[in-house]
Amino acid sequence: MTEPDSPPDLLAAIIGAPAGSPIDHIRRDRPDIVRHSQGSHDVLLSPQDPGGVSPAERALIAWRVADLSGHKALAAHYRAMLDHRDKTLADAATDARLATILDHVVRLTTAPGTATKAHIDALRATGLTERDIVAISQLVAFVAYQVRAAAGLALLVRDAAA
Amino acid sequence: MSPKRFTLDPVDWSAWMPPVRAETATPIQLQALAASPSATSEYFLTLAHDVESLAERSPLFHAAMYVPRGLRRAERELATVVVSIINGCVYCSSVHARRFVELTKQPEIIRALYDEGLDTKLEPRLRAIVDFAAKLTRAPMDMTTADLTPLRGVGLSDLEIHDLINAVAMFANANRLMQTLGEPVVEGGA
Repeated sequence: MTEPDSPPDLLAAIIGAPAGSPIDHIRRDRPDIVRHSQGSHDVLLSPQDPGGVSPAERALIAWRVADLSGHKALAAHYRAMLDHRDKTLADAATDARLATILDHVVRLTTAPGTATKAHIDALRATGLTERDIVAISQLVAFVAYQVRAAAGLALLVRDAAA
Repeated sequence: MSPKRFTLDPVDWSAWMPPVRAETATPIQLQALAASPSATSEYFLTLAHDVESLAERSPLFHAAMYVPRGLRRAERELATVVVSIINGCVYCSSVHARRFVELTKQPEIIRALYDEGLDTKLEPRLRAIVDFAAKLTRAPMDMTTADLTPLRGVGLSDLEIHDLINAVAMFANANRLMQTLGEPVVEGGA
């Protein structure tokens, strides 16, 4: 499902690099990065088969990573996606399964070197499959990529406009 | 945090869940694995559990690290070693430190970063790259256009800076997958 207001090149929209701008020109020189950065976003947030992690939960996870990272524009993007999918999910963290997932999300975002096998076992104990756990980890790792790509490329956009 | 043992020796990696087995993988999983840096590594066999994301991530990783022109290969490798040291990823730092040494024949640069830390004395171009990689890793939202000045000062073009940003961002990603789905296995280590 395509979100009604999700731009086709999210990173370009976030950093303010419209078609024809100097930074757009550089990005077009690396088409695989543009294509597969957007492709990663699309399959992680809106997979063909979401398995045991719902589309709304995926939006909640991405929003938490962007918000914890302090990236306001990305956080707003994922919050709008979350609200579109499920307005009440953000308040449902008392649910033990979701709380375990969000613990993992926070750890992976802020202190990735502190993860242990016990954390994976805790996720499995909630009924998540191996595929679900890999998908959650890929999603957190992708938004960590996206935050830094956006923050870095925005410097080039601002500098070109100065 | 316990001290990490960063090394130039090869390091293995062991998953915290059963990886996909090549014998029972689906055709789509095999296709995504074939486009990954190693179709037989336990790491990529683990990522193959979620084949849709692996099929996008492998070409993204490949482009960030190996796309021609732009930032030199060795300098992308160095940037990823810096990110991996900050994030504590012993496996990633070993792999990419060895790639840097293969390309430059300068193991002393890696040893200095490991032993003396990221503030060790470096030639100006590498100093600028290391500083930018470290700040984009630790505090991406604190960066300003002033952080571009040292890179421009040593002659990096906007295309090279674009590539540096993507290599650094890619290892925010790689370090998180490597350290949350399994652990490094160091020969003779703990």
